[in-house]
Amino acid sequence: MSENTSAPAAAACPRCREPVDGHRFCENCGHDLWLRRGGAARAPSGPCPGCGANGTNTPNGFGVDEAGEDYCSTCGIRRDDGTEHIEADLGQVAGVSDRGLVHAHNEDAMAVGVLAAPDGQALVAAVVCDGVSTVDAPELASRAGADAALERLLHPSGPDMSKAVEEAADAVAALVDGSHGHFRNPPSCTLVAAVVDPGPEDGVSITVGWVGDSRAYWLAAPDAAEPARLLTVDHSWATEMINSGTLDAETALADRRAHAITRWLGAGGEPHPEIVTIRPAGPGLLLLCSDGLWNYYPGAEELAEVALSTLARGGPVAVARELTTIALNAGGRDNVTVVAVPVGPWDERGTP
Amino acid sequence: MTDVAGAGAFTVEVDQNSYLPAGASRVDAVVTVTAADAAAAPAPASEVLEVIVVDCSTSMTGSKIRAARQATMAAIAELRDGVSFAVVAGNHVAQQLFPPVGTVVANAGTRTTATRMVERLQADGGTGIGAWLTHVGGLARQHPGSIKHAIVLTDGQNGESAEYFANALNGVLGTFTCDCRGVGTDWRVDELRTIATSMLGTVDIVADPADLAADFRSIMGEAMGKSVADLALRLWTPRGATVRFVKQVAPTVEDLTDRRTEAARQSGDYPLGSWGAESRDYHLAIEVPAGGVGDEMLAGRVSIVRPGPDGAEEVLGQGLVKAIWTEDTALSTRISRGVAHYTGQAELAEAIQEGLAARKAGDEATATARLGRAVALAEASGNEGTARLLGRVVEVVDAPSGTVRLRKAVADVDEMTLDTRSTRTVRVRGDG
Ligand SMILES: [Zn+2]
Ligand SMILES: [Zn+2]
Repeated sequence: MSENTSAPAAAACPRCREPVDGHRFCENCGHDLWLRRGGAARAPSGPCPGCGANGTNTPNGFGVDEAGEDYCSTCGIRRDDGTEHIEADLGQVAGVSDRGLVHAHNEDAMAVGVLAAPDGQALVAAVVCDGVSTVDAPELASRAGADAALERLLHPSGPDMSKAVEEAADAVAALVDGSHGHFRNPPSCTLVAAVVDPGPEDGVSITVGWVGDSRAYWLAAPDAAEPARLLTVDHSWATEMINSGTLDAETALADRRAHAITRWLGAGGEPHPEIVTIRPAGPGLLLLCSDGLWNYYPGAEELAEVALSTLARGGPVAVARELTTIALNAGGRDNVTVVAVPVGPWDERGTP
Repeated sequence: MTDVAGAGAFTVEVDQNSYLPAGASRVDAVVTVTAADAAAAPAPASEVLEVIVVDCSTSMTGSKIRAARQATMAAIAELRDGVSFAVVAGNHVAQQLFPPVGTVVANAGTRTTATRMVERLQADGGTGIGAWLTHVGGLARQHPGSIKHAIVLTDGQNGESAEYFANALNGVLGTFTCDCRGVGTDWRVDELRTIATSMLGTVDIVADPADLAADFRSIMGEAMGKSVADLALRLWTPRGATVRFVKQVAPTVEDLTDRRTEAARQSGDYPLGSWGAESRDYHLAIEVPAGGVGDEMLAGRVSIVRPGPDGAEEVLGQGLVKAIWTEDTALSTRISRGVAHYTGQAELAEAIQEGLAARKAGDEATATARLGRAVALAEASGNEGTARLLGRVVEVVDAPSGTVRLRKAVADVDEMTLDTRSTRTVRVRGDG
């Protein structure tokens, strides 16, 4: 994509067209001039894909029924709610979220954002949430959680991971206020969030926070200064049993409860995050993903091999697409969400 | 105001496996409809009509008419102050016993007068149940919007022509709900069952006249607790779908399929009668056009609808029946507990009725097979009440396999009790 960029001083607010003056928010309309974000589903429109019934002015886009549900009032087919396959590409960060091959809905959600002052280095933030599928409307939890966490990570007062998780937990808890109907089992989700701070003085720093079993990986070449590894520790039954020494890995993983998560955002959950910060000694790629990917490819080295060669060819969006594709090819039994953030001088190695 | 609180006054829970294998088109669901607390409070007395119809035909002479008087007096004593009521003496015609015409509002005075009139009740004449129903229908039409309920007691077979009776029944459909009681063993189960089913009420046998008063008291207690009249189950289905059946399956099996009246677009209404602090289960089977793998379809939307003033309607609760096509057999082969259970309970009722009919017709082989099947189904589902009644008609050799022998001598009362109560179901084990 090529654009003619005019000098910052002459730039106009994209929303109200008034000239801007180097501040983050437009003095005229309040538009956030530095922030770009992505990852949300786009609402569908047009005639029903099932029966061709014409669109109406309902909030759902086409002939959905009076009860406000996502079903066509003529043929009953559930409309595409826009989450079957979502891609977000902001250049410095990209993500793909896919329904997978088995589930009827995509209960994962992602939110990615770049905060870039005209003269400074961009701050990148990304969040992946995975709705707990045994509760009601888990997709509400994952979308609310991802959006709230990203909002806080790119807040004008600076990124604060523990506050971001706290606000995500509040947003998920607020879903039971009645405006989404009555839940027997209120929605809940996991969360993994990261903020990549270019840190002009002491080098780039990556802060990762998580609740549940969605993961963050550091991916790097085999001989890299900062070796590839899993950055998070699952809040899952098996992991806790193994780490506390209660059970050996084989017994713990064979248990029916192995994959049950022990922390989550939402009703009855322990939303307390674990947070780690790393200052990588060399270039690499930060990967956030839901278990729809890591259930098939849990190893950092394996993931690095695929991701780094793809990154060199097509940038972070190619990485997110490629890893999603291999999860689908492996069976796609769960929703798959993958977010990639290249870190370090990756663009000096010949990629766009 | 009697308004139950609109949407949310009823909960509609759906038990189904919504996952279907590729190409499949039949969707089964069990829908549990329950009145929420706010909706379950009894309606104001001024909006309730009760009519008691007592058989006074010649065959009632003796202990039966004495028991009928006692029972009617017990029922009158249960009437809440403010309720409209009437007592009708039935023989070949319907004679208004109290008040002389129309209905009267219950209070200490009217209850006493009614009781005195009942004490003088004499048995004389034939049995014309169609005429009784027509009379009650006339009273009910004077109370639009009220909860209208009748108790009909008889000891014998209807003396009217089948055509006259059918026309009479047809003429009162939907005007009131009716609980029927047969006293003794000279009445016909199918006759009273037809009335109870059509009029959305219950049917039972009171073999010993001495038990009649207690039974009437309990029917009246239940009737006094009703809170909403004339509810309907509205079923929306997608274009091209066919409703295979809509059955009430708890507390009893009642097939409502043919009771459908067309409502809004792609929707039909099935009458539910009046409702109190209670919960009922319905089994729906819908054939939908098969979707592609990954498609999700709304196969049915169940709404509990109450007609409002001036043709307005109120939706009191809603539940969704879905179909999702998948290639994952782990999902599509799951069986809904509710659907499996009530499929068995409906078959149990059928097996009993067919078995008893075969026994009457002298076809012992069919009777043994069908009643044996019933024993096995009752055993498997934990329907102890029905199992006990079956045990009086057949000798159970092995319940799980349904191995039985017909008993040689079976009392009429045992056979009629089994027949009458064959449609009673139990809920899924482990549910409250
Ligand atoms: Zn502006
Ligand atoms: Zn359609």
